[in-house]
Amino acid sequence: MLTSLYVEGGSWFHRVPVRAKLVALALLSIALFATDSPFLLLPAFLLSGWLYLSLGLRPREALSRVGFVFFTILILAAVNLFLVPVPQVAALVLRLMALVLFAAAVTATATIGAFMDEVTILLKPLERLGLLRAADVGLALGLVLRFVPDIFARYQALAEAHRARGLPVRPLTIIGPLIILTLKDADTIAAAIDARGFRRQ
Amino acid sequence: MNTRDLVLVALFTAIIVVLGLVPPITLGFIPVPITAQSMGVMLAGCIIGAKRGALAFLLLVLLVAIGLPVLSGGRGGLAVLAGPSGGFIFGWAVAAFVTGLVAERFVKPATSEARQFAGFFLASVLGGIVVLYGIGIPWLSAVTGTPLTAAATGSLVFIPGDLLKAAIATLAARAVYAGYPLLPARV
Repeated sequence: MLTSLYVEGGSWFHRVPVRAKLVALALLSIALFATDSPFLLLPAFLLSGWLYLSLGLRPREALSRVGFVFFTILILAAVNLFLVPVPQVAALVLRLMALVLFAAAVTATATIGAFMDEVTILLKPLERLGLLRAADVGLALGLVLRFVPDIFARYQALAEAHRARGLPVRPLTIIGPLIILTLKDADTIAAAIDARGFRRQ
Repeated sequence: MNTRDLVLVALFTAIIVVLGLVPPITLGFIPVPITAQSMGVMLAGCIIGAKRGALAFLLLVLLVAIGLPVLSGGRGGLAVLAGPSGGFIFGWAVAAFVTGLVAERFVKPATSEARQFAGFFLASVLGGIVVLYGIGIPWLSAVTGTPLTAAATGSLVFIPGDLLKAAIATLAARAVYAGYPLLPARV
């Protein structure tokens, strides 16, 4: 149900370590916001676009991943045409689209596992301060992935129960029972986790 | 944080993900369909409280960042965070926290039913609309160069839909509070 946005492939960008890609993304976002010059932004946009399209995604899939964000950018650009000078609007569109394409390329070439390794490293300072435990974050993440299909099945059962009684399927009458039924499991799940000593307490 | 809190946070994040998978709500009098997921901020704050609600959304943002399509319409990945509406996504955790603070302050087991409804509605509006827009709009304005006033005026279109979401979230939160109260009490 929750398939990662990672794309199998052997491009050179796949082989770049995740940390390098994330640092590059951060640096790119700073660099692109520092300039308004189309002579820098246009090449950045073209390079990001070429990079993204060279990853082995089918064109339709590639477009659908960034389509919604591009749509927002174009709407805002259309509004901006009435409010700010045209060169600035062009700079804005190129800059944001370049950034979004590069970000989509990073997402498409890094596995969940590789990302989690980086997240764990980023969480280390917080762990040292005693604010949280990196292992807990991994556990919570695993729980979410484990329970999404269950909760979705529960939603469908509730919708089915509505239809069986001739009631319209309204979120208002489903959300309440869905949340209560799901959260009532919390005690059992917590007991199961503690019984297995997953959190070493 | 004990294991039960951790599990509640994870389960609520999972509920928010599921709310993004179900078909959007269509209403006769509002042209844009409402995604059930966008009520998540209000529901999280009102149902599991400030701290756990905020953590549930931090976990969701983490899921988005590591490339899982957990947002409504199958959106996800760093591209969504880099786009103009990134501020709203980062603002969710703060919005859920404020919603929770207000709900914890105004809703207690002893208060009358009407005041519980009022408390949840106030919490949803303050956290889910005022705080969320207070973060999302300046962010959008900074990223896109749209003047702040224009961005704010344009966002007014969404306010009626948001008030409706607050009303639905209020009814759902109160139903959960009556059936299985989890909201911590705050004096």
